[in-house]
Amino acid sequence: MREKTLYGLGALAIALLTHNIWKMLVNLPDEAFQGAIFRIIFFHVPAAFTCFTCFLVSLIAGISYLKTRDLKWDALGVSTTEVGLAFGAANLLTGMIWARIIWGIWWTWDWRLTSMLICWLLYGGYLVLRRAIEEPTERARLSAVMSILSFSVVPFVFFSIKWFRTQHPQPVLYGEGKMDSGYRAMLFGNWVPILMIAIVLVAVRMMQERRQREVDALRRSAHAF
Amino acid sequence: MNDAAARNFEYLAYGLITAWLVLVVYVLTLVSREGRIRRQMESLQRMLEDKEKH
Amino acid sequence: MLFLRQVLTITAKDLRSELRTKEALNASLAFALVILLLFSFAFDANPEMMREISGGLLWLAFAFAGALILNRSFARELVNDCLDALISSPVPGAALFLGKVLANYVLLLGIEVVCLPIFGVFYNVRWAQQPLWLALVLILATWGVCVVGTIFSALTVNLRLRELMLPMLVYPMLIPCLMAAMMLTTPLLAGQPIEGDLFAWLRLLVGFDIIFTSLAVVLIDTVLIG
Repeated sequence: MREKTLYGLGALAIALLTHNIWKMLVNLPDEAFQGAIFRIIFFHVPAAFTCFTCFLVSLIAGISYLKTRDLKWDALGVSTTEVGLAFGAANLLTGMIWARIIWGIWWTWDWRLTSMLICWLLYGGYLVLRRAIEEPTERARLSAVMSILSFSVVPFVFFSIKWFRTQHPQPVLYGEGKMDSGYRAMLFGNWVPILMIAIVLVAVRMMQERRQREVDALRRSAHAF
Repeated sequence: MNDAAARNFEYLAYGLITAWLVLVVYVLTLVSREGRIRRQMESLQRMLEDKEKH
Repeated sequence: MLFLRQVLTITAKDLRSELRTKEALNASLAFALVILLLFSFAFDANPEMMREISGGLLWLAFAFAGALILNRSFARELVNDCLDALISSPVPGAALFLGKVLANYVLLLGIEVVCLPIFGVFYNVRWAQQPLWLALVLILATWGVCVVGTIFSALTVNLRLRELMLPMLVYPMLIPCLMAAMMLTTPLLAGQPIEGDLFAWLRLLVGFDIIFTSLAVVLIDTVLIG
């Protein structure tokens, strides 16, 4: 039943995304200065939002684990971190392809690119840390601490690198950068299905984590015979 | 359509493909993990059955 | 008051054992000097170039040297189960942690003070033109490095590949702190005082120190005990 709901949600998300791609290619006019390539933003920005939503949930899961010591929070923590890293990678790669056309270079040490890369490395470190610990409760405890520390450093990373240098287009949703309402609707319209996909992936990953625990318990009882 | 616009479209396609490719790769890791868990489960169950027979 | 005495007892113990064996201190100081030497091959060390990158060079060397000290901080206690003895002693986890931070802090500051004149001689930099500001930056940034480094030292103490895990986890965490230190140190070495926009970096350092000291003190019992 639960799996059917998940697959239904995933199918709905993919249908919505296909619809959006068709709409953005046919209905939305090219942006005046950037041409067709600007449409990447409808994936680039929602991927970043999804990435940080995942990291935020991972922080909440870390705190909840330390409060309750229930391993299901640890499963949520590792699932959201992995999915967040996947969307973070999508964000970085689409950004690089966009930069190749607009700035003529694949990579520049602009503050948002750099910050995103550092966040990616931080949470990549979280996964490496998990792999180095065998014992499940110790792994859960230390990775919860790592998640809390990582999330606390994110604002520092963003501010410090912002002061360091900037070359990125202005923030599109706040501040000086104005965005056409049709574009904005498309941006959020695409975020909804992308977030749905993230939820499906997290749920699947959590089920795997639970089954892995069952396997481990079975193995212990098998060896106890 | 001039050259710049064509290149623009080409890179848009690359961008969209890359975004989805990343997710496909992640889904593939999920699938392989699923298979690994299932194999472990089966071998453990077989081991337990063998032990009960003896 | 008791807490303070406990902190200082741990600091004194760590410093005494380090100064008697000098295992981390010698390695770390030698490493910092080797790195400073290696930099001279990476680029042409002319005065204009040095004016732009001196802060970055110094702090990279300090960060690498710091990792060696921090690696030993908790790993030293593994032999003969000393860590378990420390945890079961009446000293609270926070005091144990702050004591170790303080010991690492003194050691790393010592290394920095030795490296600075050597750096000045090698690269022809008159580093002591703004001594008070420079001291403030060293004090604040080194504290940040030591607090974050020590909590990760505790976090990774029981891991396989501890020596590799610590720098891999710590350096991305330290980027804001090191970046602020580099941005402040470069103009200070060129003889300019801290003014205008540079105060933002100083505030960033203070904020980093406060937030991570409090987080580490809150989390250390979870890390050490469970």
